[in-house]
Amino acid sequence: MRSARTGVWSISWPRRLSNPALFPSGSRGRTYSPVATRQGVRIDNVNTVIDARDLSKVYRTSVKQPGLRGAWRGLFKPEYREKLAVDGLSFRVSRGEMVGYIGVNGAGKSTTIKMLTGILAPSGGSVRVLGRDPNQERVANARDIGVVFGQRSQLWWDLAYQESLNLIARIYDVPEARYRALLGRFTEELSLGELLSVPVRSMSLGQKMRAELAATLIHEPRVVYLDEPTIGLDIVVKERIREFIREQNRASGLTVLLTTHDLGDIEELCERVIIIDSGRPIFDGSIATIKERFSRHRLISFETAGRPGPLVLPTGVSLEAQQERRVTLRFDRSLQSASSVAASVMNQLEVLDLSVQEPDLASVIRQIYGGADPSGAPAMEGLEARVA
Amino acid sequence: MTGITLARRRSRAGLYWAIASLVPKLMLTYRSWFWTDLFTQTLAMIISVAFWRAVFAASVTVGGIGYQQTISYILLALVLTPLVQNDLIYTFGRLAYDGSIAVELTRPVDFQAAQFTLTMAGVAFNTLTRLPLLALGVLAFGLRLPGDPLAYVCFTVSLVLGGTLLFFFDWMLACLAFFTTEVWGLAVLRFGLAAFLSGSLIPLAMMPQALRAVCAALPFAQAVYVPLSFLTGLQDLAGAPRILLTQAAWTLALAVLSRFVFRAASRRAVVQGG
Repeated sequence: MRSARTGVWSISWPRRLSNPALFPSGSRGRTYSPVATRQGVRIDNVNTVIDARDLSKVYRTSVKQPGLRGAWRGLFKPEYREKLAVDGLSFRVSRGEMVGYIGVNGAGKSTTIKMLTGILAPSGGSVRVLGRDPNQERVANARDIGVVFGQRSQLWWDLAYQESLNLIARIYDVPEARYRALLGRFTEELSLGELLSVPVRSMSLGQKMRAELAATLIHEPRVVYLDEPTIGLDIVVKERIREFIREQNRASGLTVLLTTHDLGDIEELCERVIIIDSGRPIFDGSIATIKERFSRHRLISFETAGRPGPLVLPTGVSLEAQQERRVTLRFDRSLQSASSVAASVMNQLEVLDLSVQEPDLASVIRQIYGGADPSGAPAMEGLEARVA
Repeated sequence: MTGITLARRRSRAGLYWAIASLVPKLMLTYRSWFWTDLFTQTLAMIISVAFWRAVFAASVTVGGIGYQQTISYILLALVLTPLVQNDLIYTFGRLAYDGSIAVELTRPVDFQAAQFTLTMAGVAFNTLTRLPLLALGVLAFGLRLPGDPLAYVCFTVSLVLGGTLLFFFDWMLACLAFFTTEVWGLAVLRFGLAAFLSGSLIPLAMMPQALRAVCAALPFAQAVYVPLSFLTGLQDLAGAPRILLTQAAWTLALAVLSRFVFRAASRRAVVQGG
């Protein structure tokens, strides 16, 4: 902000992003670059696509009392409760990034997407998408974005798919030649050929989602919000859809914000993840960092020459499973390294082979959501300390 | 004006034309519906003509209107009824209630303008499908149309203004869907009231004075009775400028108010669903 008194430029960091412990600066340094503002006009990094600052949304919901008496009371003396769906959310997304936006049901993901698309006005804070306020400039914003709501359709139920596409191209003013070219490409990449003459109501779930994706990208948006794009789909269709999204990102620098419960989508597509819980961001960083930070435990397995006898285990190591010629140990990475555990076991047993298992994202996320590690070490403890 | 904005305006006009042309495609999906509707409306025409013949068997005029004028009015009203039977409250209500309005609001078009286009195209399409009834009325039931071209001009202008102001009125009612959890009852209530108070069942001139005052205060009659009164001679054409100006003023006022109501409602309301 330029100070009115001195006229001097100063650089300010978004408040919540200034905590380096919560938002590892090493992982996505460019995302959190400082922003200069001048007399209220922001001069952002040209690569910034989404810029949310201290965003919050409060819903007022009526409280329904149980029973007939409650319903009667509600008629004359309605009670309301305020619910904070999003609370002080700040993040930035740069051009070409594919970001996974995850959290449990009701964490505030859809509310965030609705604010980014402009259909909900934030209760506090600010949001800019490609430099615009999406709510104030809803129509202009809509031209540059694409949205797939996994549970809803933007296509006309009774119209042949081709008719829906034609109208969508008209709505977005896609030049005729460009439309033909893109349609040809999408038809090939998503195998839409036989779907063009079919009305949406006759399509299977997988066909519908392929159709939705092509319809969302036909106007070449600069950013897309994908809300559960692979929900309920079989593995082949999922793969095809992921490949298609990856291709669009690679070819045109499409920015993607992906909301999903399918962590396979995230691992396949995203380098960066934002996790929110109760409307608050609890993690923003790379998938590698999340695994590193929140999975304190690793598993190490040994194939032994003979039946393994009793083992003396170093501190921080516990027995996970024991079979005929196989021992699996779990160790705390803050106390032991894989090599020290291996050395200790090899001193006691004849080992033929060994392997260290990397934690999968699903189990890490489960720990973060659940707040507790199966071994008893709460994963949220470290997390909350950082948030505080 | 620059070339770019002109081109953009032209393409916007083309867009609304494209939206309007959706309507016949959607409606003709269900071809059997078209024939069923034509059949039931023909039946309705036969029944109402028989009813009014019976009424006029006992007296020469009812409420100061003669048989010929009544029959012409009733037959024309039957053709125009789709004007007050738009299903905006129900469709808009459902969009707001189940949250699919989210999808509509992420399209780069003015939501109200798009809904207006769809509703009006629906009304026009339904009215067109009833034109065979008009022919039937002239050929079989003695429907008489005026010879003065000015009557048709007044009728058309009044019809467009009336239909438009009724749209804005319905739009505000439909905004209630953001707050209630149910719109079906509201749609049914509105439908019943409109059928009676618009004058599509009986000419308002036949109603008691008090009821006519109620009808005049509500917008329904503006879309049926007022335009039809020009065509059936119930309204003197000399009074047309005053009536049309009043309609235009109402249209403008309701248009502004309806946008304000929508903005306030959609800001306050929750866009439902995940």
